[in-house]
Amino acid sequence: MNILVINAGSSSLKYQLFDMTDEKVLAKGRVERIGLDSSIVFQETGDGREISDVSEILDHTAAVRKMLALLTHPEHGVLADPGEIAAVGHRVVHGGESFKHSVLVTPEVKREIRSLFDLAPLHNPAHLAGINAVEEVLPGVPQAVVFDTAFHQTMPPTSYMYAIPTVLYRRHKIRRYGFHGTSHDYVSRRAAEFLGRPLEELKMITCHLGNGASCTAILGGKSYDTSMGMTPLEGLMMGTRSGDLDPAIVPYAMGKEDLTLYEISSMLNKHSGLLAISGISGDMREILEAMDRGHEGARLAYDMFVYRLRKYIGAYTAAMDGLDALVFTAGIGENSPRIRQSVCEGLTFFGIRLDPARNEAASDDPRRISADDSRVEVLVVPTNEELMIARDTHALVRGAVTADR
Amino acid sequence: MFRSIGVVGGGTMGRSIAEMLASKGLEVRLVEKDEEHLAAARAGLEASLERQLERWAITQAEKRLILGRIHLGLEMENLSGCDLVIETVTEDMDIKKRVFARLGELLGQETVIASNTSTLSLTELAGATRHPERVIGMHFVYPTIHAGVVEIIRGLQTSDETFEKTKQFVEVAIEKKGVMVYESPGFVTTRLICLLINEALRLLEEGVASAEDIDDAMRIGYQFEYGPLEMADRFGLDSVLAALERMFREYGELKYRPSILLRKKVRAGQLGVKTGVGFFAYGKDGERIR
Repeated sequence: MNILVINAGSSSLKYQLFDMTDEKVLAKGRVERIGLDSSIVFQETGDGREISDVSEILDHTAAVRKMLALLTHPEHGVLADPGEIAAVGHRVVHGGESFKHSVLVTPEVKREIRSLFDLAPLHNPAHLAGINAVEEVLPGVPQAVVFDTAFHQTMPPTSYMYAIPTVLYRRHKIRRYGFHGTSHDYVSRRAAEFLGRPLEELKMITCHLGNGASCTAILGGKSYDTSMGMTPLEGLMMGTRSGDLDPAIVPYAMGKEDLTLYEISSMLNKHSGLLAISGISGDMREILEAMDRGHEGARLAYDMFVYRLRKYIGAYTAAMDGLDALVFTAGIGENSPRIRQSVCEGLTFFGIRLDPARNEAASDDPRRISADDSRVEVLVVPTNEELMIARDTHALVRGAVTADR
Repeated sequence: MFRSIGVVGGGTMGRSIAEMLASKGLEVRLVEKDEEHLAAARAGLEASLERQLERWAITQAEKRLILGRIHLGLEMENLSGCDLVIETVTEDMDIKKRVFARLGELLGQETVIASNTSTLSLTELAGATRHPERVIGMHFVYPTIHAGVVEIIRGLQTSDETFEKTKQFVEVAIEKKGVMVYESPGFVTTRLICLLINEALRLLEEGVASAEDIDDAMRIGYQFEYGPLEMADRFGLDSVLAALERMFREYGELKYRPSILLRKKVRAGQLGVKTGVGFFAYGKDGERIR
């Protein structure tokens, strides 16, 4: 059974086609710059064939058509016919309190995703555009949605409530939701498998460090607390996002600089974080390079990033009254031994001891980077949100088929 | 849904509309009458986006993207492939009629032609084209990037289809509140705001309060972003005068008679932000100096 996984952004569409008999990736690709006359498409297949093209792709429907054309391309494709796609799974950033699990798409589900536009104005509209486009181009093919927030729905109120008047929670659902749930879920399961211990017995902290970054306290396999909040702005310092700050700064800065709500929100989301402190870039690779050249802003940005992450790890260890495993994942987490080392260096009193050689070794597989005598296991587990989405979609579709009979 | 939008006229409103549309991801073709006006429009757009960047509203990449979506030109023929064309030329019936007649010839029957007029008769403008049913009014409030409302005006012959397409565009594509109004000089926004400005000018003439204090009283007292006099400076005093004169003529009521002070300022060429001096003084990027 072939499952197509789609991550639709406002001007991009990333996809992966899985054969679920062995979970192999048949092809993956992306369409960028949707809405322009010079949209870029790129696809590579599991056996190493690549194709790229520049053409006019004006909307998500056209992007989906283009994707299908590439997947069924006589020379570069992997399918003879679009009918070989059994189901489509979509990544959706915000599922609010409505979605605690992945679900099949129905008109009600679409309505609910739309009602959450206010909470995720940049993401949910694009996801819905992707869902509608697939519906138009592949009518009758079942679709599933997998939410970034769903995994964190197990958090207790002590973690998800903000200490502000509860009427705001009741009226507007203002609370912590957390994000990157699919990734935290996936790497925590993989970590338990790797350690050969039951997930239910483990106290784990997973650090998803990409352009957006969050860390999650996972108690017995369930999200107990997470650093992102009602929106993905809270928590760790990120590429261009501020992370935690005193909320009083917002009205104060608005008054002093005469800013509108839109401007202050853009400032915190797009002009802050590593970019603001370093003054050069929001990309950690460039920060590291600049730091090696002696750039002071880059050094401060790096130190702040590490320091803030360490504070969260400390807090979550206290929250769970202990820690069995610390897991690094996503772009920075998987590829920067230096960040991992800096973070762990300050956590020796927990009994964390890194093995420098293991930390430096590069691999695409889950691996241990702590020393044998470390009291806490430190792991690097490459994330695979697409596979997780494909698995959920596969399970849902099989369930639906069974139920029909 | 309209995807490619034409804007005729690159003055204050034309630029502001083009920038707002492009920032919503739409492709815009802006047409001006000569090289000089075209250069001014281009410079104005860049300065405005630079200000947005300084205020953290957009990123450097977004600025390039927005500018890249605005195609400037001198030829009305460039508009032929557009789904919607918005006319924003000088508020003068004869000039606008000429533009409409030309657009009527150039554009396919499907293209909706909208006017940003605030006081002129849409029915009369529509009469200058062969297909008056696809003509409609879209009255934006300046600065259009911040003002979340558009008055949608139905002329006598505007078709339901044209109205529905326009309303859909306003509410979905550019995410503004569409207020439906019937043809009447000044509609809602211009009629009320010009009366407020005119009354503020009379207060000033009568020596009741200084310009500064009049604006502070209204700004702080009623939470206006700008007081009425600075608002007039930002609209352009010539535009305010033209709107008041038109409403005075149409309604015949004294309350619309433009204040003497307004006439004097316009005669002196002190038109507000665009000339650097009005009731207050402004820098080249439109920021208030005193």
